[in-house]
Amino acid sequence: MDVGNILVWIVWFAAAFACLGSGIAVVTFANPFYSALALIGNLASLAVLYLLLSAEFVAAAQVLVYAGAVMVMFLFVIGYLGGRADAPWAGGPSWQQVAAICAAGALLVEIVVAVGLKAGDRLDDEATIGASFGSPQEIGRLFLTNNLLAFEITSIVLLVAAVGGVILGAHSRRFDREVARR
Amino acid sequence: MMGPEVTWYLIVASILFTIGALGVLVRRSPLIVLLSLEIMLNGANLALIAFARHQGDADGQIFALTVMAVAASEVVVGLGLIVAMSRRRLPLDVDRMTTLRG
Amino acid sequence: MTTVAVTGWVCLLSPLTAALLITLAGDRLSRRGAGYLATTSTFVSFGAALVGFMSLLGDNPEERAEVTTAWTWLKAGSFEAGLSLLVDPLSMMMMLIVSGVGSLIVMYSIGYMDGEDEERRYFAYMALFVFSMLLLVEGANLVLLLAGWGLVGLASYLLIGFHHERPSAVAAAKKAFVMNAIGDATMALAIFLLFWKTGTVTFSGVFDGVDGLSNTVVTLAALGLLGGAVAKSAQIPLQTWLPDAMEGPTPVSALIHAATMVTAGVYLLVRLNPIYEQAEFVQDLAAAIGAVTLIVAGLIALVQWDIKRVIAYSTMSQIGYMFLGAGIGAYSSAMFHLMTHAFFKALLFLAAGIVIHALAGEQDIRNMGGLRDALPRTYRAMLIGGLALAGIFPLSGFWSKDSILASALAGSTYDKVLFVIGLGGVFLTALYTFRMLFVAFGGERSAYAREHLHDTSHGEAPFSMGAAVAVLSVLAIVGGWIQIPGLWHPLSNWLDPVAEPLVEPSVTQDWVTSLVSMGIALGGIWLAWLIWSKRTVALPAWPEARRVLEHKFYFDELYDQVFYKPAVAIARLLGRSVEEPLVAGSIDATVSSVREAGRASTLIQTGYLRAYALALMTGLAVLAVLFVAFR
Repeated sequence: MDVGNILVWIVWFAAAFACLGSGIAVVTFANPFYSALALIGNLASLAVLYLLLSAEFVAAAQVLVYAGAVMVMFLFVIGYLGGRADAPWAGGPSWQQVAAICAAGALLVEIVVAVGLKAGDRLDDEATIGASFGSPQEIGRLFLTNNLLAFEITSIVLLVAAVGGVILGAHSRRFDREVARR
Repeated sequence: MMGPEVTWYLIVASILFTIGALGVLVRRSPLIVLLSLEIMLNGANLALIAFARHQGDADGQIFALTVMAVAASEVVVGLGLIVAMSRRRLPLDVDRMTTLRG
Repeated sequence: MTTVAVTGWVCLLSPLTAALLITLAGDRLSRRGAGYLATTSTFVSFGAALVGFMSLLGDNPEERAEVTTAWTWLKAGSFEAGLSLLVDPLSMMMMLIVSGVGSLIVMYSIGYMDGEDEERRYFAYMALFVFSMLLLVEGANLVLLLAGWGLVGLASYLLIGFHHERPSAVAAAKKAFVMNAIGDATMALAIFLLFWKTGTVTFSGVFDGVDGLSNTVVTLAALGLLGGAVAKSAQIPLQTWLPDAMEGPTPVSALIHAATMVTAGVYLLVRLNPIYEQAEFVQDLAAAIGAVTLIVAGLIALVQWDIKRVIAYSTMSQIGYMFLGAGIGAYSSAMFHLMTHAFFKALLFLAAGIVIHALAGEQDIRNMGGLRDALPRTYRAMLIGGLALAGIFPLSGFWSKDSILASALAGSTYDKVLFVIGLGGVFLTALYTFRMLFVAFGGERSAYAREHLHDTSHGEAPFSMGAAVAVLSVLAIVGGWIQIPGLWHPLSNWLDPVAEPLVEPSVTQDWVTSLVSMGIALGGIWLAWLIWSKRTVALPAWPEARRVLEHKFYFDELYDQVFYKPAVAIARLLGRSVEEPLVAGSIDATVSSVREAGRASTLIQTGYLRAYALALMTGLAVLAVLFVAFR
């Protein structure tokens, strides 16, 4: 048991707990602002886990795109809307919430069981990887050769989303007058 | 590989997914629902990256990056919807949006 | 194709073409034009039949049958029915009668139906009828015979109900069709039976095959066919439709219900004589039916006041004679009487039509009288017809009726009994015929006649009507001279290859019968003269007998009780207990259950986003279990 390994384990545990903890925080906070901040923490801990899995580029992209752009947008919108509080468990658990917990719990149990049983011994062997596994070079090469179609389609999806965002945010003069009247 | 095996990562990913699912089902504010959706997507991403590492195939990472791009687009549209809703003075409550009833 | 075959097809298809053309031309053809077209087509038919007749005369007597097939019409497994026509002496005789008398009557209709709104429809139907009757007599297999049989029934229904604004006409048409349908059904069953047992439907095939069949089968088949003949020819017990059929226009009564359609039953008996000779019981039964009918019809005719109904019952009676003749095996005599009857019966109907026309539609002879001076030519025509009907020398009826009676005399004891009945019929025939003549034409003009008689200064009737009546008068006189016992018999020679008679009277028997029947007929005329002309003898009162006769032996009432009322009751019962709850109920149940299912399904659509999401999650969980468990 060498020091590197122990270090890795410690980092892993820290990241995992941070991840799960922040996840629970997102779901349970009443104030959406706090939920968004917790999500940023979640994203950061996930990035650490990605690094442990030799996915350097993905980790960087996660921090830059997700935490840097998407979450910022979230925070803008939350700021614009105002932090409306809604307590999740207010008024006692309704049948909907109970059912939700049961369903989610069931799913979790199944996955854990499946994974724990090593999916019928299929999760035994691990592949050995080279040094450039997960490097930007490698990812870039794959994007532009094997997965070119996915690359292009993703760009179209982003374009559509941008257009949609603009349309959704556009002011309609007639509508604004109507709203002002109300 | 150093550190925990793939199965540990998978269990973390599934717990994350379940947390996100619970959030979607239990919370009433659409903003929080969107955030929970993000958590679910991230759980899936983690699973993908773990498998990529396990199989030695970087396609999983490609997939994860694509998922990230799609998630970003979806957030744009979702937030746009929420902003439009609040501009029309509609209540930001998932339970009150029942036009599809019946 | 030989001449005979060509003439067969032309004869058959000419009236059909006219019917189709009139139907398709619609308004573009004038009403008169439709009449001329129909008449021309039937005359063309007659011409073709004449040409064919000449051609057949040139052939050897044994080779006078020709079958010409257009194409194989129906083919299923071993069953094959071709669109084939059979032109042989028997069918040629019928073709000549149908097209000849038919064209005269259609020509008469031009004048009679002049001014009718729906004249075109009438002529189309008449042409259709002539086509159907020709199909019936020219068909070379049982299937075409049945097809023609059904088509004439249809044409009869259409023509009886021609004046469809009159409920009585519509009811009469339905009655005729339904009773004919009973006959059609039995006939169809008989044909099925014959096909099943002999494997073929062509006449030649069936006749050959019939030898080997068991007695029961042949008897059943013959009975079924007899049922059809009885219905079509209005014999007892399926006779009630014929008097009601007089609701149709008079030319229709002349053509369909005197000269041609009702004689189809006789044609059937003669054509299928090999089958009947195997089933002797049925042949005897046919003769008995004929005998009973001729007496019953004659009695009923004595109390009828409607001029057309008298003639209708007379038709029923004369066809009884033909059935009698065919039943005892005197085929050529029966056909001979068929021919002469076509002449003088059509003559009587057409002349009666002139009278009805002249009196603006009046048909009751009590409202007539003294028409002898007003309509002399018509009176002469009716007199000729009446004398021929009564069987007075030397008119046509004398020769034909007496040949049947003589054959009866020459036969077995059973036949001799029928002979006596036939003689009784002769007396009745003379009596009712001359009753009609004396009441309608003799004596003083009734008040009604004086009022309504049309001005006859320019002829009693238009040319088309008068010409037809004149031709038929001549035929009624000379038509019988084609078969004079002892001297020459070209008719029986002609028909021998097709229908060899079972009984042949000797010359003495023939002349004795003729003298006796003539005497009886003259006696009947004299009695009629005493009662209705000189009025020295009064008809005895006999109220009960009179009532029975006036109600036509209560057949209508009997059928009403036995068939109509129970059928209506059953229909109503089924309507209440089966149709409503089960049939309509099941449809209602289907509808309401679908609606309920739909309503129940909408309960899932709550509109709650979270509920939908929950459903998704639950489904996912279930699927995950399945995948893990069964992978």
